[in-house]
Amino acid sequence: MRHFLKLSATILAAILLLCVPRGNFTLAQSSREADIAVVVNADTPVTDLSLSEVRKIFLGDRQYWTTKLPVVLVMRAPVTRERDVVLRVIYQMSETQYSQYWVAKIYRSEVTAAPKIVYSDDTQYELVTAMPGAIAAVDGRNVHPGVKVLRVDGMLPGDRGYPLR
Amino acid sequence: MSAAPAAGAPGGQPAPKSEREAQATREAVQQYESHYPSLQIRGFGDVDFSATDTKGATSGFNMGEFDLHIASALSRKVSFFAEVTFNAQPTGYNLEVERSFVRYDYNDHFKLSFGRFHTPIGYWNTAFHHGTWLQTTVDRPFMFMDGGTFTPIHMVGFLAEGSIPSGGLGLGYNIGVGNGRGSLIERPGDAGDVNNNRAWVAKLFARPAKPYGLELGGSFYRDKITLPAGPEYREWIAAAYLTWTKGAPEFLSEFENVNHRSISTNQVANSDAFYTQFGYRLPWFERPLKPYYRFEYTHMPLSEQVFAYQPRAESIAGIRWDISNFAAFKLEYQHLGSHPAQGGNPAQPAENAGFVQTAFTF
Repeated sequence: MRHFLKLSATILAAILLLCVPRGNFTLAQSSREADIAVVVNADTPVTDLSLSEVRKIFLGDRQYWTTKLPVVLVMRAPVTRERDVVLRVIYQMSETQYSQYWVAKIYRSEVTAAPKIVYSDDTQYELVTAMPGAIAAVDGRNVHPGVKVLRVDGMLPGDRGYPLR
Repeated sequence: MSAAPAAGAPGGQPAPKSEREAQATREAVQQYESHYPSLQIRGFGDVDFSATDTKGATSGFNMGEFDLHIASALSRKVSFFAEVTFNAQPTGYNLEVERSFVRYDYNDHFKLSFGRFHTPIGYWNTAFHHGTWLQTTVDRPFMFMDGGTFTPIHMVGFLAEGSIPSGGLGLGYNIGVGNGRGSLIERPGDAGDVNNNRAWVAKLFARPAKPYGLELGGSFYRDKITLPAGPEYREWIAAAYLTWTKGAPEFLSEFENVNHRSISTNQVANSDAFYTQFGYRLPWFERPLKPYYRFEYTHMPLSEQVFAYQPRAESIAGIRWDISNFAAFKLEYQHLGSHPAQGGNPAQPAENAGFVQTAFTF
C-alpha cells in the first residue's frame, strides 16, 4: 500500500511538474518595470506610430520614412532587455526565428542587409544620433538627449497601457 | 497628437564620457556606416538520402542543390541580387544562374528590377527560391518544381513591385513584363524571346496588420508559347494562395489553373494544381521540432498538348528538426498515387518513398 502511495505521489508530482508553464526565463521577467522606448534620429519626420507600423518597420516591410530618407534599423545584440522586448512584442519570434527571418528576407531580395547590431547603449545612441532615418529600441528610463522618442499607439513609455514592456 | 519629447525622458542622464571613450564610440559608429558596393554572399546546401519501393529505382545518397546568393547595395537606392546554383549530374555539376537582377528603389511603393527573377506567381515561387533550408519540407510542391513545366519559374524582363497605401490591410503588388517561356517551356528565354510576344504577370497580395502572420494573394500570368515543333498556344495562369507563417501552426495553401488554347485549332485545355501544407512547431525544448503534412493534387486533361501528361495525387508527412539556427534535419515519407479521376495513370503506378535531408545555410 505504502509503495502504491509513493508511486502515485511520484506520478502526481511529475504531472504537476509537466503542467507548470515553462516559458523561457528571460531578462524581461527579471526587470518588468522598465518600458522600452522607440527612438529615432531627431530629424526623422515622425512622432507617433501604431504598434502595427512599428512592426512593419522592424520587419523591414517599410523601408523608407520618405522617398529620400531610408529607414536604418538598429538592434541591440542578444541578451539585452531591449532586444528581448522587441522580439517578444514586435516580432513575436524567438532568437532562432528572428535569425532565420532575416536570412530569408535577404534571400528573397526584399532587403540587402539585416538590421545593424550594436553591443552597447553608447554606440546605439551615437548611431541613432548620427544616422538620418535611424530607429532603435532603448531603455525608456534612461533616454539620452539628441534622439526623438516616438509615441506608440499614442502612448509614451511609462503611460498606462504602453505596449512595449 | 502631441509632440513627443526630442530629448531624454526623466531618469538618469548618461555620465560624461572621456575624450578617449567618445573617440572610440565615433570610430565604432563609422564602422556601421554603409559603404558601396557592399557585397554579401550567403550559401545554402543540402545532402539527401532517398529510398523508394519503385521497381528498378535505387536508394542512396545524393548531393542536393548548392546555392550561392549574392546581394550588394550599389548605392542607397540601387541594389544587385543574384542566385547561382550547382546541381549534381552523372557527369559533373550543372551551373545555373537562377536570378540576376538590378533593382532601383524609388520608395516603398515603387521598386523596379531588371534581369532574371522568379516569376511572382502564387506564394512558394518567391518565398522559398532554391534554398531547401528555408522551406519546411524536403522538396517543393510539384507545381513549383524547379525544372518543371507547370509554372514558369523564371522570367527575364522587368518587374515593378511595392506596397499600396492601404492602412492595416497591408496591400502589395508585383507587375512584370518579360520574355515568357522559351521553346523549352521550363526555361525563360535568357538569350532572347522565342516569339515576338512578351509575357506579363500581375500579382496583388495582402499582409494584414491583424492577424499578424497572415498573407493572401492572387496573380495572373499571360504568355504565348511557341513549341519547338511549331504549334503555338495562348497561356493564361490564374493563381491564388492563403498562408499563415508564424510556425505554430504553419499553413500554406495554393491553387493554380493553367489554361492553354491552341492558336491554330482553338482547342482549350485546363490543368489545375493545388497543395495544402500544415506544420506545427512543437512547444518543447526551445521549439526545434516541426512535424508537417502536405497534400498535393494535379489534374491534367487528356487534351493537354503543352505539358507532358502528369496527373498526380501526393501526400507527404515528415518532421523537421532545427539542430541550430542555420541547420536542420528533415525526415519525410512520401506517397505518390496516380490520378484517381483519370482512372489511374498506368505509366505512373503508386509509389512510396522515404527521404532524409540535412539542409543548412552558411
